[in-house]
Amino acid sequence: MGGSFRGIEVEGLVREFGKGFRAVDGVDLRVEPGEIYGFLGPNGAGKSTTVLMLTTLLPPTAGVARVAGYDVVKQGAEVRSTIGAALQEAALDPFLTGREHLALQAAMHGIGRKERRGRAVELLERVGLTEAADRRVGGYSGGMKRRLDLALALVHGPRILFLDEPTTGLDPQSRSALWDEVSRLAKEGVTVFLTTQYLEEADALADRVGIIDHGKIVAEDTPDALKAEVGRSSIEARPADPRDLDDVARVLEQFGEPIAAANGSAAVRLEDKSQGLADVVRALDRQDLRVAGLELNEPSLDDVYLAKTGRKLEGAGDREEGTA
Amino acid sequence: MAGAVAWRGIHNFFLNPALVIPALLFPLFFLAAFAGGLSRVADIPSFDFPAGYTAFQFVWILLQTVAIGGAFTGFAIARDFERGFARRYMLAAPRRGGIILGYVVVSLVRVTVTGGVATLVALVSGMQVLGSGVDLFGLLGLALLVNVAATLFSIGMAMLLRTSSGGFLIQTPIFVATFLSPVFVPLELLDGWIEAVASVNPVTFILQAGRGFVAGDPTGVALAFGLAIALVLVMLPWAFFGLRRAEKAG
Repeated sequence: MGGSFRGIEVEGLVREFGKGFRAVDGVDLRVEPGEIYGFLGPNGAGKSTTVLMLTTLLPPTAGVARVAGYDVVKQGAEVRSTIGAALQEAALDPFLTGREHLALQAAMHGIGRKERRGRAVELLERVGLTEAADRRVGGYSGGMKRRLDLALALVHGPRILFLDEPTTGLDPQSRSALWDEVSRLAKEGVTVFLTTQYLEEADALADRVGIIDHGKIVAEDTPDALKAEVGRSSIEARPADPRDLDDVARVLEQFGEPIAAANGSAAVRLEDKSQGLADVVRALDRQDLRVAGLELNEPSLDDVYLAKTGRKLEGAGDREEGTA
Repeated sequence: MAGAVAWRGIHNFFLNPALVIPALLFPLFFLAAFAGGLSRVADIPSFDFPAGYTAFQFVWILLQTVAIGGAFTGFAIARDFERGFARRYMLAAPRRGGIILGYVVVSLVRVTVTGGVATLVALVSGMQVLGSGVDLFGLLGLALLVNVAATLFSIGMAMLLRTSSGGFLIQTPIFVATFLSPVFVPLELLDGWIEAVASVNPVTFILQAGRGFVAGDPTGVALAFGLAIALVLVMLPWAFFGLRRAEKAG
């Protein structure tokens, strides 16, 4: 691995705990500069352990990892100076205000007193905490803490940002605000390594997704490519008059192979990706068939996860918490 | 890095009554209970301390206060690990040794306040000081070295344990080491196992030199400073050992 690459390069990363239990078991990945990389998996899959190693907070048992061209084991100080991280639990001091946190974080990074004030004002505004800036964070909501944590991670203008489940436990509005901010950061050229257990989060934000299960990466590509790999879109139609079911099914068969459908409906898997609902509606209309419901089902990352691991992602970690 | 760690520790100490009140009450309680309640000890014929019993006790209370101040810093570190704040330090620090230095500065500032209050109360309650300004500077120097040694011990312990429930293991060795010394009477009046232990305990020599400073008759100063510096030098690698263990544990 070359030292000039400014993204993240990982080869054969391993972390063992206790009696040989491998939380991370030979992970290889490469994140390009400026990319949002979604690291998807259930609780206990090895996401956070990987982040801890990449941020120099935990030494790997084996393997090599370079962040911004620096080795995480041999050049920890250089790695830390180029990265920002908002870890799973926003570690904030309840006795400090938001502004004091930013001043403290800036001081830790060696930013001068004058520059600290300006940076704090800018970041507080950026994450929408200007009004709450002088309140102790003990009284902040979960969403406010997360936003402050993100601001703290950005104090020194890092080129690479690690976000470990940044939206876990947030309400939809706070989640959406954080997504917007992450997208904005990526547009500004910041490389984002985002771990999440939310499929829609990875789908909405990530340029590429790595799916980790039992410490191993089981799939990695763009969300669209991963979904295309596991299957094509399907269309399901429910006739307005149940007696038309066979006729509706015959029309649908022009677009693909029949698949199982709910009672009283017909469904096909589309053969041609360019065909969509509009074509089916026109074909049904030509036959004078009326439908009560028509649904286009795109494959999801959950389908990808199911195909790669044999399990649904939702709740997979909860069932395995005891073993990981 | 050290400045940032120190700023937060000092800020929280002064703004949090739950931290500042016990730290102040500790020496005041000892002063009332030992110097006040046991003042008749001075009537023992072979008790010969020219500055009186309050001054005799005060030196031990001061050293106990600064040593326990180090333990309190250890508690704060354990809490930082428990609540995840220590990771913020670990993540930002280019050189993590600065974290140790920052905590030592916090501890020194804390005990300057608590030791200062204890001294003021002792003086107000009639403590005699026969030593000169130079002598008192010597006592201050010993107290600061004891604080640094106790703080380094506590840092190592707290970083090794990384949980508040380990507070007992941080405080007890310091507490025991300071008590296994001539606390209430001079070494010559001790007897049995306590005399045997106290006569080899480094705290005894530091305590006796401190009492000499207050009495205006400094004795065993070089040995006391040598031992205090040695304690610091022994505890420094111990603190770094704790830091390395914390780094390995993530």
